Amino acid sequence: MLTNTKDIQQVMKVVGTSPVRPDGVPKVTGQAQYGADYSLPGMLWAKVLRSPHAHARILSVDTSKALALSGVKSIILGSDFPEHPFDYVGPERVAQNYWHMTRNIMAREKALFEGHAIAAVAATTAAIAAEAVSLIDVKYEVLPHCIDVEDAMLPDAPLLFEDMITRGVEPAPSKPSNISKRLEFSTGDIAAGFASADEVVEMSFKTAAVHQGYIEPHSCLARYGADGQCELWSASQGHFVVRAYTAKLVGMEIGNLLVHPAEIGGGFGGKTVVYVEPMAVLLSRKTGLPVKIMMGREDVFKSTGPTSGSSMTVKIGVKKDGTIVAAEGLFKFQAGAFPGSPVMNATMCAFAPYIIPNVKSVGFDVVSNRPKSAAYRAPGSPISAFAVESVLDILAKKIGMDPLKLRLKNAVKAGSPTAWGPKHSHDGYAETIQVLLDHPGYQKPLGKNQGRGVASGFWFNGGGESTASVHINEDGTVVIATGSMDVGGSRASMALMAAETLGVPYESVRSTVADTASIGYNHVTGGSRVTYATGIAVVEACNKVIEDLRLRASLMWDTDIKNVVWSDGYAKPVDPSVGNFEPLSLKAIAGKRAVTGGPIGYEASTNAGGQAPGFSTQFVDVEVDPETGHVKILQFVAAQDVGRAIHRDYCAGQIVGGVVQGIGWALNEEYIYDSKGRLSNAGFLDYRIPVASDLPMIEAVLVEVPNPSHPFGVKGVGEANIVPPMAAIANAIENAIGRRMTELPMSPPRVLAAIDAG
Amino acid sequence: MQAEIAATPVKAVKVAFTAGFSRRYTDSIREFDVQAKNIRGVIRAMNDLFPGLGETLEEETSIAIDGVIHEVDYTQPVKPGSEVFFIPRIEGG
Repeated sequence: MLTNTKDIQQVMKVVGTSPVRPDGVPKVTGQAQYGADYSLPGMLWAKVLRSPHAHARILSVDTSKALALSGVKSIILGSDFPEHPFDYVGPERVAQNYWHMTRNIMAREKALFEGHAIAAVAATTAAIAAEAVSLIDVKYEVLPHCIDVEDAMLPDAPLLFEDMITRGVEPAPSKPSNISKRLEFSTGDIAAGFASADEVVEMSFKTAAVHQGYIEPHSCLARYGADGQCELWSASQGHFVVRAYTAKLVGMEIGNLLVHPAEIGGGFGGKTVVYVEPMAVLLSRKTGLPVKIMMGREDVFKSTGPTSGSSMTVKIGVKKDGTIVAAEGLFKFQAGAFPGSPVMNATMCAFAPYIIPNVKSVGFDVVSNRPKSAAYRAPGSPISAFAVESVLDILAKKIGMDPLKLRLKNAVKAGSPTAWGPKHSHDGYAETIQVLLDHPGYQKPLGKNQGRGVASGFWFNGGGESTASVHINEDGTVVIATGSMDVGGSRASMALMAAETLGVPYESVRSTVADTASIGYNHVTGGSRVTYATGIAVVEACNKVIEDLRLRASLMWDTDIKNVVWSDGYAKPVDPSVGNFEPLSLKAIAGKRAVTGGPIGYEASTNAGGQAPGFSTQFVDVEVDPETGHVKILQFVAAQDVGRAIHRDYCAGQIVGGVVQGIGWALNEEYIYDSKGRLSNAGFLDYRIPVASDLPMIEAVLVEVPNPSHPFGVKGVGEANIVPPMAAIANAIENAIGRRMTELPMSPPRVLAAIDAG
Repeated sequence: MQAEIAATPVKAVKVAFTAGFSRRYTDSIREFDVQAKNIRGVIRAMNDLFPGLGETLEEETSIAIDGVIHEVDYTQPVKPGSEVFFIPRIEGG
């Protein structure tokens, strides 16, 4: 059903408020336990030897000197992990090929990037493990390397895999290349569409690989027992997925691995995969002792996945009245050393906000000698949006139209077509544009060297598998458990939805994240899915509890359950004819728990569908220093359709966070490689993420167009907000200095060069 | 292309694929009419036409039922005349 959801209105008591977060005090007092905070008696420390070369054949690895060092208990190499068949398994965007995955954990035949793990040592102290790493003798044959995506696509580029034949091309190429995959989405008649345009702009763009920049490096602790049972403490965005990947990679049954969710110090997509966990489990299995691994910041930069850098060309045609008639995009993405960039998302999201009858979107997934890319907030969409939203800005100028009004004229709504096939099923985009058109800041006069830019973004948002349990304590307090890692405030939002459903105060609900043995499966906390999908599971479990509470009240009143209703946290007679009964509170019924049937608790599971996409539209004012090229953000207003805000401050926080990361992506962040393919800026001193002093107060505008598929109207909030900032800032810079920036980051040297180029 | 899956003369469910998916798996045919009451029925019908396709649909796709995106779930009902569009499954960050 294609639904205009604006008509849905509900009156809420606690949903939409901003209570104190349940994890706040432990975090600010240092009591919260992150991945690195766990220790066990007799624990060993592991350190990892990493490749100094961008591309090298591993000729031999001699561990004899390291093993002879006192305190060293075990050393593992790639060959200690089980081999896996070469096969792509699972959804296309994130198809897992365990042949690749085990080699990403630890190199075998070749080191494919600087920082690629070669061996791991477990020893009684971290210092001994580090010394042992230095004693491992590896003989390499250094090979030519490629870093940039365009270089990697050249016919004579050094090959990472000598047998890689491009998928998605028919007939299949006869020669191998670094191009892992080609994909295409198209609709309509591109040539006819462009022929009908009054104005056409075609332009090429480049973006840099950027890291998620989570503050907490990857860490874990594993204890493998003599009975084959293993426990793992790990900070991740999904401990069930950590369990599945780790069990597969080390060759054990899922049921023998129990993963405890540690608090997480940021993930943003980068902690949906495993790096150190399989090593720790394998070392613990070999030594019979607990093993702890902690990455340092340099390890994080050199061996974990950033999102892709890219090379793109986008062409869009419009009529004089602003109607977009055709669009074409070519998107080449760095996958890193193994296939799997988010280029598919990029090709699908690129033109998604707009009604365009003729679209062609082509993507290439390309390997090169850099760390394997990983998800980063709306993976792929911010990259293609940088190109598309920049071209739209140029077109708006050409036809003399306000850039927001150009977007509004072409904005998708329920029933609009998409390039990939099905129709859009929700509104929400136009509303984000209109709220900015009405914003007083949008008309504010600008000064010298100042400019204003706008851009929009789309993200699918997710549903999927989640489980939640709800239990009622004898004093009427409530315990919720889910298996969704709390990355962005989900414990609070789950508690709010439970409190609203049960009709009890938020403060009476304790919300927890359970380990993999204590709750059913939950997919990762990613894709802006948890408040939606896990929230549905929580509400369903609460509704089961309510049915049970009605039954127990009916037993206490010696009447039928149909004569009992649940309202505002009380069981009440459906009408006076049932009897003159005082309403029964949760506490009153829980006090009769034993005699009315025993513990009150239910679990609910879902494979949630019906999720609605997220749209964000933003404007930014910048000032460019013509002498240095420095770009100062003066004002930033970000509107996003959140469906229904469950925890209002958390929603605003997500929007502000996405914008800040987008500002870093736009202005400063990049991986800098030397001529030998070695990363030169593997630390936060040289890899410049925004700090508070770089930023003005960012205004988040919550647009609420509820999603009818969710009990409270939720749409995902965590990702769409990072899509527009890069283009919005580029458009603002153009308006400030009259130069179109086509490459990220728009760092001071690059902006200055653009100014000097005249 | 008409797939004669059930004898009951009720309005068919329209099944659709992206161009790339249809090139790989359905002889470049993008649309099919099948008789089904739920996603299990749709997948079974498509697997009858292209043996082995059912597993691919279950593992690699999401579905848009009249535009509303769902995970592939056997129990998801579909109405006569509905469009079931199989799209690549998206994973976010």
